[in-house]
Amino acid sequence: MNEHPLRFEDIVLPGWPDAPMALDVTAHQAVAVLGSDASGVDQLAAYALALQAPPAGRVLVHGRDLATLPYREALAARRAVGYLPADDGLLHNLTLSENVALPLRFGSRLTETQIRSRVGVILAQLRLADVGVRRPADATGEQRRRAALARALAFDPDLVLLEHPFDGLTDRDAAELLELARGGESAAGSRRTVFIIGPYLPPSLRARVESRFRLHRGRLESEEG
Amino acid sequence: MAASIAALGRRATDAVAWVGALARFCVRTLAAARALPRAGRRVTTRILLDQVRFTALQAVPLIILLSGILSFLLISQAVRELGRLGATELIGRLMVIAIVRELGPLLTALAVAGRSGTAIAAELATNKALGEVHALEGMGIDPVQYLVLPRLGGAIVSVLGLVVLFDLVAIGAGFLAALANGMSGARYAEIVTDSLSFRDVWLTPAKGLAFGMIIGLVPSFHGLTVGGRPTTVPIASSQAVVASIVAIFLCAGLFVLVLL
Repeated sequence: MNEHPLRFEDIVLPGWPDAPMALDVTAHQAVAVLGSDASGVDQLAAYALALQAPPAGRVLVHGRDLATLPYREALAARRAVGYLPADDGLLHNLTLSENVALPLRFGSRLTETQIRSRVGVILAQLRLADVGVRRPADATGEQRRRAALARALAFDPDLVLLEHPFDGLTDRDAAELLELARGGESAAGSRRTVFIIGPYLPPSLRARVESRFRLHRGRLESEEG
Repeated sequence: MAASIAALGRRATDAVAWVGALARFCVRTLAAARALPRAGRRVTTRILLDQVRFTALQAVPLIILLSGILSFLLISQAVRELGRLGATELIGRLMVIAIVRELGPLLTALAVAGRSGTAIAAELATNKALGEVHALEGMGIDPVQYLVLPRLGGAIVSVLGLVVLFDLVAIGAGFLAALANGMSGARYAEIVTDSLSFRDVWLTPAKGLAFGMIIGLVPSFHGLTVGGRPTTVPIASSQAVVASIVAIFLCAGLFVLVLL
C-alpha cells in the first residue's frame, strides 16, 4: 500500500492565492482538516476526486492525479476511494438499500445476487438492515449518514474521504461512525486511511484521529497536543 | 450598426458552441451506453419503463385528442372542398403526406417535448441542485449512465409508440369524417391505402426515432449543464423546451430536404 494514499501538493484554495497548502495523509491514520466555510476546507475532497480543479497545485490519490486521467479511468480511480459528501448525496428516489447498491451496480461486474449479498452484509454492519427499504426522506438524519457511509464503503476502499461527517450526530453516533470508517485496527493503525473534512471534530473523537489540522487563511496549522 | 453585427456574431458563435457541446454530450452518452455493466442495465431498464409510463401511457389521451380533432377537421373540410372540384382522391394524399408523414410525428414530438422534455430537464437540474450528480461522480458512477440513458431510451420508445398511435387515430378519425360528409367508408379506405407507399411506412418510425432522440438528449443536456442551484431549475426547463422545439423543426426540415 502507498505510504501516503492522499497527497495535496501546493494546493491553492479560493481566496488565498498566496498561501499554497501541502499535506501528506499517512496510510492507516485518521487525519482531520478543520475549518470554516470561508477557509476553503470544503473544496479539498472535490479537488482530490477531480470533481473540481484547484486554482493551482495538484492532488495525488494513490499516487495518481485524477484530474489528468481520461474520464472513465478517473471514474474507476474514484471507486477506489470511499466518499461521503457533506449533504449525504443520497438519491431521493431510491431506498437506502438501493443507494448502497448503486455503486456496485454501475461500477462493478458483480451479478445481482452477489450485489444483494454484499449490500446485506454492509447494511447489517451499519445497523441499517431494518430500515434499508426506507427512502432517505423517511429516514432519520443519523440513518441517512449511516447509509451514505455504507455506500462509501461498498467497494471496501482503503481510503475514505468524509465531508462534514459528524454534523448533527450525537457524540456516541459520531464515534461509532468513525470506527466504522476506520474499519478496525491493523498493526499499522486503522485498516483504512480516513480523511475528515469539516468545521469541527467532537472532543470525544480527538484520541481516535491521529493527525488534526486547522485551515486558517489558506494555511494548515497543526492541532496536535 | 457595428454593435448589432457584433451581437449577431455573438449569437452565432453561441449557437455553434451549443451545437458542439450537444454533439460531445451525444458522443459521451453513446460511450456511456457501451460501458454499462449488466447490473446497471437492470436499473436503467427499470427507470426506462417508468419513463415510458409517464411519457407515453399518460400522454395517450392527449395524443388521441390532438390527432382525432385535427384529422376529423381536416378531412371534413377536404371531403367538402375537394368533392366540389371532383378531386376526392386527393384526400388520400392529404391524409398520408400531411397527417401521417408530416404532422403526426411533428405534433406528437412537440406534445412530448412540451410535456416530458420539460420534466426531464427539471428533474435532472434538481438532481444537480441537490448535489446528487456530484455524489454520483464522486462515487465513480457516470451520471449519464444512471440519469440520461434511461430517459433517452424512454423518450425514443414513447415517441415511436405515440407517433404510431397518432397516425392510427388520425386514419380512424378521417374515416369518421369521410362518413359524416357523405363519402363511403370503402371509398375512403381505398383512397388512403392507394396513397400509402412503403416510404411513408418507414419514414414515420424513422422520424419518431429521430424526434425521440432529440427529446431524450436535449433536455438531459440542459438539465445537467445548467448551474447547480435551485433557481436554475426553471431556466433549464425553459431552455430545454425551446431548444427541443427548434431542434425538432430543424430535423423535420432536414428529413424533407434529404428525401425530396
